[in-house]
Amino acid sequence: MRFMRKSAHRSRWVAMLALVLLVATGCGDSQEVAQEPEGGDDTERGTVVVGSTNFSEQEIVAEMYALVLEDAGYTVERRFQLGSREVVLPALEQGEIDLYPEYVGTALEFLSGGAGEATSDTAATTEKLRERFADKGVAVLEPAPAQDRNGLVVTQETADRLGLETVSDLEAHAGELVFGGPPECPQRPLCLQGYEEAYGLEFAEFRPLDAAGPVTWAALENGDIDVALMFTTQGVIEDKGWVLLEEDAELQPAENIVPVIREEVLTDEIADLLDGVSARLTTEAITALNREVDAEAADPRSVAEAWLQENGLIS
Amino acid sequence: MSALAQWLSDPASWWGPGGLLARTLEHAGYSLGTTLAAVAVTLPVALWVGHTGRGRLAAVQLANIGRAVPTFGILLGAFVAFGYGLAPVYAALVALAIPPIMVNTVVGVGQVDPEVREAAEGMGMRGWQVLLRVELPLAAPMVMAGVRTAAVQVVATATLAAVVGLGGLGRPIVDGLAQGAAYSPRAQAMVVTGAIAVALLALAAELGLSAVERALTPPGG
Repeated sequence: MRFMRKSAHRSRWVAMLALVLLVATGCGDSQEVAQEPEGGDDTERGTVVVGSTNFSEQEIVAEMYALVLEDAGYTVERRFQLGSREVVLPALEQGEIDLYPEYVGTALEFLSGGAGEATSDTAATTEKLRERFADKGVAVLEPAPAQDRNGLVVTQETADRLGLETVSDLEAHAGELVFGGPPECPQRPLCLQGYEEAYGLEFAEFRPLDAAGPVTWAALENGDIDVALMFTTQGVIEDKGWVLLEEDAELQPAENIVPVIREEVLTDEIADLLDGVSARLTTEAITALNREVDAEAADPRSVAEAWLQENGLIS
Repeated sequence: MSALAQWLSDPASWWGPGGLLARTLEHAGYSLGTTLAAVAVTLPVALWVGHTGRGRLAAVQLANIGRAVPTFGILLGAFVAFGYGLAPVYAALVALAIPPIMVNTVVGVGQVDPEVREAAEGMGMRGWQVLLRVELPLAAPMVMAGVRTAAVQVVATATLAAVVGLGGLGRPIVDGLAQGAAYSPRAQAMVVTGAIAVALLALAAELGLSAVERALTPPGG
């Protein structure tokens, strides 16, 4: 009996040692996040922390911001894929990150607690968003022409079977359908709450998955969910032959991509650099880049870098 | 604190389709299923190794290496391979449960006094009879200790199922984080109750299986 215990102890130590080694090597990797500045001039430029929420488009756009800043000589720390807006926005307010890409309509409805202030008018919605962010010490720069809205997606088979073209076509069938989306969706004015109020959709069940990522795609493909919340710029919708239901009650407002940045770190030069990216970023452009990352498993950084070079935004 | 009280007093938090009861049952289901699957996979191999003594060192060392493989990595790897559903969760949790059952069974059977084994053989028992009637009963407390360790680890880790879109008590934790646990008291309440429920379930598994282990221990052993 005594020997048994000793041997169990020893094996525990071996396992623990292996774990410590794993953790130690893991830590080594994370220290390489900060990048050395590349710009050649003597001006002292600070470190900017760029963040993103948890889906590939966010990482692509955040990379664009990071790369133009690095190209201009800033030191950039990347903190991507942090989580939902509910995680990233407090991180911005607390200064853990300095900027990240937002969407004007959803951000406004989020900050106002679903006051319904966001409209299809980009300029008006952006202005309202600036007011909401002002007392938080956060500036909203110029929105890009690119828009990415929430959308409801079904398989071609479901669309044919139930005769679905628009979101309101779902109303008669919602009671038998399972709806899948990100875990924060039931609490969001432009997600489940909005579809219930604007379209009267009462789904049989809501299944929390991920932010329109691989888990959601697999669940829709498998038939574990019938309707998926996805983003309108996702090339994967077309690639898989899925159907994006047409918005006929205008629930989703203008959703232009816009950098939000802490006023403390914002300078005219940084604003110019980020505005330069936004000016070129169209819905077609970001949709194509999303497809490269989602369908062709390209690396978000190289996709962003190639696009910035094509558009003459970095050298 | 009031948000916690409010969340706790809302019947939907407890009895609804995504309520704590349903999540606890899902969690217990994943844990029971994967632990039993690990026992079914491991026990025959481990008993054979312990009985014959062949490959004992290899089996124990392989199991110990297995302990170092991160469950989260297996889960996501299996998700890529199998897609949405129970398969990735089973792959990850069964892999987590195998090593303690393997090590304890191999060592437990191997430690049976050779004189007892010889006596059994002397009475005319065949190899499999020695294993099932002598070695297994003597090793039972040790085997059960392995199963208990595995089960407690599995209960504590089955929260990961929520990461690949399934249920269990990881749901309120993952959802609470996504819904703003950084500032929303309601979301904080979800995370805290989910975490406490997992801890209680793990404790229940520990206590329940300890009782089984004691019952299997021969008097004076």
